[in-house]
Amino acid sequence: MPTKAYKTYLSLLAFTAPALILYAIFLLVPTIGGMYYSFTDWNGLNRSYDFIGLGNFVEALTDDPDFVNSLWFTLKYVLFMIVLQNAIALVLAVFIESRKKSKGFFRTIFFMPNMISTIISAFMWTFVFTQVLPQIAEKTSMLFLDQSWIGDPKYSFVSILIVSLWNGVGYMMIIYLAALQGVPQSLKEAAIIDGANAFQTFRSVTMPMITHAITICFFLTLNGAFKVFEVVFGLTGGGPGRSTQVITMNIYEEAFSNNFRYGYASAKSVILFVIILIFTLVQITVMKRKEVEA
Amino acid sequence: MKMWTGVLTTVMAASLLAGCASNNTGNGNAANTGNAGGDSGSGEAKSVTLKMFVAQPRLKEHYDKYIAQFTAKEKAEKNIDVTVQIEMPPADNAAQILKTRLASNDAPDIFALHAINDIPSYYKAGYLEDLSDQPFVGKLLDSVKPAVTTTDGKVVALPLETLSWGYLYNKKMFADLSLTPPTTLTEMKAVVDKLNANNITPFLLSYKESWIPQLFLPLAAGALINTEDAEKDFITRMSNDEGSFSEMKSMFDVIDLVNANGTDKALEVGGDDGAAAFAAGKAAMWLQGPWYAETILKSNPDLDFGVAALPINDNANATMINLSASTSLAVSKTSKNKEVALDFLNYVLDDTDSNAFFQALKFNPIATVHTFDSYPWVNDATEYVKAGKSYQDPAIPQAVKDEVGKDLQSYYAGQMSQDEVFKALDKAWKSFNKVNK
Amino acid sequence: MRNRSISSLLITLVLAIGAVVAVFPIYMAVVNSVKTQGEMFESFISLPTAFHWENYSDAFTKINMLNSSWNSAVISILGIGGIVFCASLAGYKLSRTGGKLSGFIFFLFIASMLVPFHSIMIPLNRMANALHVQGSTYGLALIYIGLGVNMAVFLYHGFVKSIPRELEESAQMDGCNQFQTFFLIIFPLLVPITVTIAILDFLWIWNDFLLPLLMLTDVNKYTLILSTNMLFGEYNKEWSLILASLVLTAIPVVLIYAFFQRFIMHGIAEGAVKG
Repeated sequence: MPTKAYKTYLSLLAFTAPALILYAIFLLVPTIGGMYYSFTDWNGLNRSYDFIGLGNFVEALTDDPDFVNSLWFTLKYVLFMIVLQNAIALVLAVFIESRKKSKGFFRTIFFMPNMISTIISAFMWTFVFTQVLPQIAEKTSMLFLDQSWIGDPKYSFVSILIVSLWNGVGYMMIIYLAALQGVPQSLKEAAIIDGANAFQTFRSVTMPMITHAITICFFLTLNGAFKVFEVVFGLTGGGPGRSTQVITMNIYEEAFSNNFRYGYASAKSVILFVIILIFTLVQITVMKRKEVEA
Repeated sequence: MKMWTGVLTTVMAASLLAGCASNNTGNGNAANTGNAGGDSGSGEAKSVTLKMFVAQPRLKEHYDKYIAQFTAKEKAEKNIDVTVQIEMPPADNAAQILKTRLASNDAPDIFALHAINDIPSYYKAGYLEDLSDQPFVGKLLDSVKPAVTTTDGKVVALPLETLSWGYLYNKKMFADLSLTPPTTLTEMKAVVDKLNANNITPFLLSYKESWIPQLFLPLAAGALINTEDAEKDFITRMSNDEGSFSEMKSMFDVIDLVNANGTDKALEVGGDDGAAAFAAGKAAMWLQGPWYAETILKSNPDLDFGVAALPINDNANATMINLSASTSLAVSKTSKNKEVALDFLNYVLDDTDSNAFFQALKFNPIATVHTFDSYPWVNDATEYVKAGKSYQDPAIPQAVKDEVGKDLQSYYAGQMSQDEVFKALDKAWKSFNKVNK
Repeated sequence: MRNRSISSLLITLVLAIGAVVAVFPIYMAVVNSVKTQGEMFESFISLPTAFHWENYSDAFTKINMLNSSWNSAVISILGIGGIVFCASLAGYKLSRTGGKLSGFIFFLFIASMLVPFHSIMIPLNRMANALHVQGSTYGLALIYIGLGVNMAVFLYHGFVKSIPRELEESAQMDGCNQFQTFFLIIFPLLVPITVTIAILDFLWIWNDFLLPLLMLTDVNKYTLILSTNMLFGEYNKEWSLILASLVLTAIPVVLIYAFFQRFIMHGIAEGAVKG
């Protein structure tokens, strides 16, 4: 019955049209547009531009030490974030879950930083790093606190991690908490009766039951960490020099300051997209397989 | 289906409205929103909407006042009702906003740009109206005219803000130790030693914002280009992918001297912090232009400071003041209201009203019509200029200036060697050439 | 038993230290925001001796608090409303319709969830310019809808599966057309996931920085975050003023947190598990 099929299509399109139109205008077309520009030498100012094939990609990967450095710096950041953010969030979640009376209190406290915008967090911490800590160091002679926290590249990486974790751990913690609540108490008790200690119980009973949450949190952290921008922007601005410049900031700089090389910056953002895609797919495949095994 | 149609229409209407909201006069935008523009009909009394773009929000009231005077004058003399829409984004992203406007055929009639950094590329891209035959050009002082003149001899902007600078020094500290601004690098070393011996930190370092360490480059390059025969055509050669910054290696002599004798935690001190610290007497000298005078005096109104030229080698003739123009007004080539736009530009250098305007803005005199007294620090610099010890700010592309700021931060942090700095600068200039070929 | 109480003590200790770290910057900001600059530099840690509320009134006017909060609220509400409206329609229909086209549209939405914002910001900027929505509050809300529908469609799509089809069928027997069925019967059942979506999108839009930075040019249309960012740039050594403005910026979200804590936490867990 062709009329029925036609009607189904029509109603499908009618229902999806509002979402689809706005999505196409502001997400789909720009995505394709970015890929298109990445093959040109357009500078954002001139009215004309030429196609230069893979030239931008070759230049970014072989002849742009700043971009490559920002890539490595971002990778380092992603690695540290995945490990630390999830470890801390999981430990906090397990610990909080074990409290009875103070559960709600700690949950509220640890999640609060997450509500505050990243850029505002970065500003608050700038105050702490540049003003408060040096003063505490002076007064208490805890001299290790008196560092050039955001000026010295050795420490600014640590500062960036601290602020990111402060801001992000709460979110992961909530997800872990929800997962932990799904672990039946009876199973844990059974393990303890069998003579397992707390750690063993956690490893053999709890862990397998929250692997799904771990996959999700790894995914979220991975995705978020590759796109990090605001913490670095608010804290160090990528400096001193470009020592804390992350990929997104390198792209931003290329497109909106510097030489305004739109085409070239677009190529860099395509590279970022591909990297995130690969990492995410690998992570999901590997962890899903683990989930099934467990 | 009724309900649905209603909702859809509402959404569509809302999106169209949103589109119109920022569309205003529809200046030069092609037919993508047919009914949206508001181009005034031709038969009625003449009224013009002039769009301006000036990235100096802190000076808004002065601009507003002057614009009000202008509209009154225009009405009285030409019977044109002028409505001025002035946009003043913060300076940080002004260039980006302006650039997107221009590229999408949405140029403001009058816009402010940086004379040295922006004029060459904007002119090349065809966005600037030739103003050479405008009356105001005849009034410009000879010392500022070159900054707004293109390589082919056309005046394309009106300079508002001009600068004559080197570094700032604390006059009282210098006087107490009976020091005078040194004329050679060796003399500078002696000054530094004497300050150190008296427990005064010689230099204030404020490298948090990369444009501050960046200042070394125009000073060093400007001096070398104007005194060394081999470097005369440096800019031209660099623009043809021929030269290299390694020719300027000697600029690190002064940079190393300053870095080694400066205040702590330089990479955490920004411009404002620096101004406060300099005002508080934390150091005797600050590599900074007099554009921070107002901020310094705000935190210490009694501070007596002066402007001096930075020695970069032992050639006393190379110790010169940098003359430059920054904020300048240009008229869009595609403006539909050129007549009024040009009237405004000429009014900026009006014989009677201009004095008060420039004084309110605290800008330096730039034209023969300006008769007001300049500030003491401007007079310091003028002494050098009168003695012939000044040069026009070399036309180093903005991208290279941005690069050098970041590189010198890294150099200070010990993360880049001198050679790496030169390499990065050469690359930045080359990619500038590539983009602006 | 002894072991257990020691480990319990240790856990409490770790949690307590963690809580101190979590609260420390906020505490610092609040405490120092009511001090004078001089008092602050004597000691950041000590409690204020007198309350200098003028920092707040000063900050309040400098970040144009009422106006910027209003802008943030308008963008958030329109954005969330639009996302919920568009995505619930689409998610519902996509979930109920089989076939290649439906599958393809759904795939388009899902695949785009991986596109990083930074990969599209340049062309998006051009697009906004070409459509003349740049610089407009409503335009920005529209962009948020465009960028936010994909995840919402995904969440609705999953949720609709749990709603029995019989409901719609009986409604249609009663003579409701498809849209009436959706708005009268289905949408009310979608409230739980709608709350989740609204919360996730609120946190995103209200706290977003880069997109408004790129899109809004007029200071009067700035969001709260942008105004604070500008103040931070302009007065970067007047810490008491900055801290007061940071606290002011944080107040709306903290209030919302206080009232909707349960929903928010539930929403995040829900959003994550479904994702």
